[in-house]
Amino acid sequence: MKKLFFLIVVFAFTFTTSFAQDSAYQKAMKKEIAKVISTDSLGSLQQSANAFARIAAINPKEWQPLYYGALAFTFQGFSPALNLDKKDEVLAKADELLKSAEAVSPGNSEIVALQGFVLMAKLSADAANRGQSLSGTIMATYGKALAIDGKNPRALAMLAQMELGMAQFFGNGPEKACGLAKQSQAIFDAQDEAVLIANMQPTWGKPMARSVNSKCK
Amino acid sequence: MKAIYTSLLTLLTLAGWAQTHISGKVTDTKGISIPGANVYLKGTYDGASSDVDGQFSFTSDEKGKQTLVVQAIGYKSSEENVDLEGSNLVVKSTLQETINLLKAVTITAGAMEAGDEKKSVVLKPIDILTTSGAMGDITGAFQTLPGTATVGNDGRLFVRGGDASETSIYMDGLQVGNAFGTSASNVPTRTRFSPNLFKGSFFSTGGYSAEFGQALSSTLALNSLDMPLRNQGDISVLSVGGGYTHTLVGKQNALTASANYVNLAPYQRIVKQNFDWEKAPENWDTEIALKQKWGKAGFVKAYFHTEGNNMVIWQKVPGQEGRGRRVGINNQYSYGNVSFRQAGKHDWFFSGGLAYSYNRDKINLDDLPVRQLNQVVHGKMVVIKDFSPQFSLKNGLEYFGKTYSEALPDEGKQRNMADHQFNHFVETSYYFNNNLVAVAGLRTGYSMLAKQIWVTPRFSVAYKMNEGQVSLAAGKFKQLPEEKLRILDNNLKNAGSDHYILNYFFANNNRTFRAESFYKIYDNLITYTGATSAPQNIGQLGSGYARGFDFFYRDRQTVKKTDFWVTYSFVDSRRRFANYETRVQPSFAPKHNGSLVVKHFIGKLKSQLGSSWSWNSGYTYTNPNEPGEMQSKTSMYSNLSLSWSYLPKPNVILHVACSNVLGRENVFGYQYASTPNESGAFVSQPVGQGAKRFAVVALFITLSKDKAANQLNNL
Repeated sequence: MKKLFFLIVVFAFTFTTSFAQDSAYQKAMKKEIAKVISTDSLGSLQQSANAFARIAAINPKEWQPLYYGALAFTFQGFSPALNLDKKDEVLAKADELLKSAEAVSPGNSEIVALQGFVLMAKLSADAANRGQSLSGTIMATYGKALAIDGKNPRALAMLAQMELGMAQFFGNGPEKACGLAKQSQAIFDAQDEAVLIANMQPTWGKPMARSVNSKCK
Repeated sequence: MKAIYTSLLTLLTLAGWAQTHISGKVTDTKGISIPGANVYLKGTYDGASSDVDGQFSFTSDEKGKQTLVVQAIGYKSSEENVDLEGSNLVVKSTLQETINLLKAVTITAGAMEAGDEKKSVVLKPIDILTTSGAMGDITGAFQTLPGTATVGNDGRLFVRGGDASETSIYMDGLQVGNAFGTSASNVPTRTRFSPNLFKGSFFSTGGYSAEFGQALSSTLALNSLDMPLRNQGDISVLSVGGGYTHTLVGKQNALTASANYVNLAPYQRIVKQNFDWEKAPENWDTEIALKQKWGKAGFVKAYFHTEGNNMVIWQKVPGQEGRGRRVGINNQYSYGNVSFRQAGKHDWFFSGGLAYSYNRDKINLDDLPVRQLNQVVHGKMVVIKDFSPQFSLKNGLEYFGKTYSEALPDEGKQRNMADHQFNHFVETSYYFNNNLVAVAGLRTGYSMLAKQIWVTPRFSVAYKMNEGQVSLAAGKFKQLPEEKLRILDNNLKNAGSDHYILNYFFANNNRTFRAESFYKIYDNLITYTGATSAPQNIGQLGSGYARGFDFFYRDRQTVKKTDFWVTYSFVDSRRRFANYETRVQPSFAPKHNGSLVVKHFIGKLKSQLGSSWSWNSGYTYTNPNEPGEMQSKTSMYSNLSLSWSYLPKPNVILHVACSNVLGRENVFGYQYASTPNESGAFVSQPVGQGAKRFAVVALFITLSKDKAANQLNNL
């Protein structure tokens, strides 16, 4: 009985302290997450990346600050305003952050999917030169993400986009891409976004599924 | 008492509310502002990013001594101590640039890289396969690059006035002995290895790193693939053979096994040949490649290849009636290597491995059987330490064991040679900044058989300008003579060459331009009297030079869906070597060389069309009916090849290719009778092509769960 009471106290104590400690972290994270998925401006993406770097520095055991930092750099890597050297530089930074994230949280489908997204950014930075060598790797990376979590809507949407590009290249129908995009869209529609946001889980990627879906039917 | 306590509390709270406003500017060492820098107080959430003018500002509730961190991509982070007193704090921060290998200058003198991501590349790995005319042969694609000469009756790599033995070939840093198949004289050969094995290559036409030695002209370093992407089976059906490759991929390791068979006999029955084949070339090979990840950054690779070749050909002898001389060749070849690479703590890197090659030829010259056995062992260990992003030091130790034997079994005669060579190399590279790098190296060697020690310094420097970059390379290179000569005279020493290379390289927006000039001096080249097959009075009295310049331009932008490159090389070479008594222009060094490669994609037809044209101004030869040696020249060489690759489905490729579509009768030289005929003239016959054209049809099918996978690499 005494033991149980002790356990409850310890549990309550750790719970409250961790909750108290986390709140500053969560507050900072949620503010930046909201920014990063709603902006296209290079300046604010860089600001977010910096903010996530600051958060990551004091929370080295969390994967999300590294993940969202990488996302902020990856979005920059798609910006037409940057030249190839600059794009490669920010994407290398994204890669580096994802490696650290993977070390903190191994076997995480979201991290692997974002690695695929970084490769996609590298490809689109210089499609003529990199298309041949990278497209296979990208598909395999999304495959890896889906092997961990077959319901990762981002991996499904991005794979759908790759499949669509492939189908267009070979002049084939978009059936395969459409199947994936529909699956992705259904998962996006079914999920409770508020809960995900509260847990700092990724929610981005919906427009990608939608854009592939718009080419279907 | 209570009042005092309350006021104290208020004071404390007030002090607690007194924020410090921190602002300032981030610039580089030249005073240029850095936007997007991350400025923050260590261990807190307080911080901001610098704006487009490098300005930043934020407030903090922290007190007392704190550390202000400033970080920006491409710069070293700075940390400085600040004292927060609740008022305004203005900070000026200067960041130093770091060396960023993604955009830093690279040494391009002499070097031509095929790779996927780096910017100094001239070729993609896929180009080696999709260049029409190359027919899937690794060296075939390199022969469309500047600095090389097409020698159609040989097939090996000839670089800037050097003969084929002056190029040495490596796989994952380890030497490949007898990389080319054995062939009869004037019958072209091919490299033994499938281009699909490699993810990239580094081809140097001179001035190369101290890591490589025993090559007077050139090195070709091939890097094998790391991890294959997926489990798959690849079927290839060719008009001249077929093969199957199976790949299994695990989490930490992968296995690829393949078997191929090629027989030219059915093809040669249909298409008229100029060569008089009794038995058309027939070849089988099997190979196994193993990959194992080792920790986070390490890799262990093993590769084994074994093959057999057979052919019997009749070669006409000038001035004689009949089919001429019967040459039968049975070749047995095996190559294996095990290599590793690993990264240690504190920026230490280790790599190395062991390779073994075995080449056995049973040759029958008419009724005379000859046996030749060549074995090479290569062991290597390399340690690299990056002392800073600027400065790195590479150290390596190598061992080469070479044995060669020749036998005439009918006469019970045999002779052998064995040599052990030890090498050490050291190379430092120093980046002054992202725009200037210098590399200095020293390679030392010792041969037990030649009883000779040699020391060869190498140096190169590269400078990046606003548009393009300039690099310079110089060095000394040594190479022991070929085994078939060393077996006759064990005391033969190194031949030597000095290289001086000046290079300009520019790459932007899918356009690449490269210009290079070179000067190469040879000394101690092998000389002898008598025929090449029976040399006498072997010495090393030869010397000479090769000088010239070349251009390369590649463009994927100007013409839609079209990728083309064009090269021109000028080589002026004269040397005394072999059985020449004076300095002559070698037969393998045509003065003017050019090539044009075009690839065009037609989406509607799901096809890629390829064409390549190579040309040179002709080969020198000796006409004994006239005074002097190597005084004559053949007419120009020209070869236009076409190819068509059709992808009906993502995993099926149909490939059709034809060389020399115009059917030009290229001549590589003339052979003369050894004695004059009744009218006192030496009768000649041309050394020509095996057939007017060579055509191949191939079907590649990939079986895997991923239906998009294909063998595009096989084209």
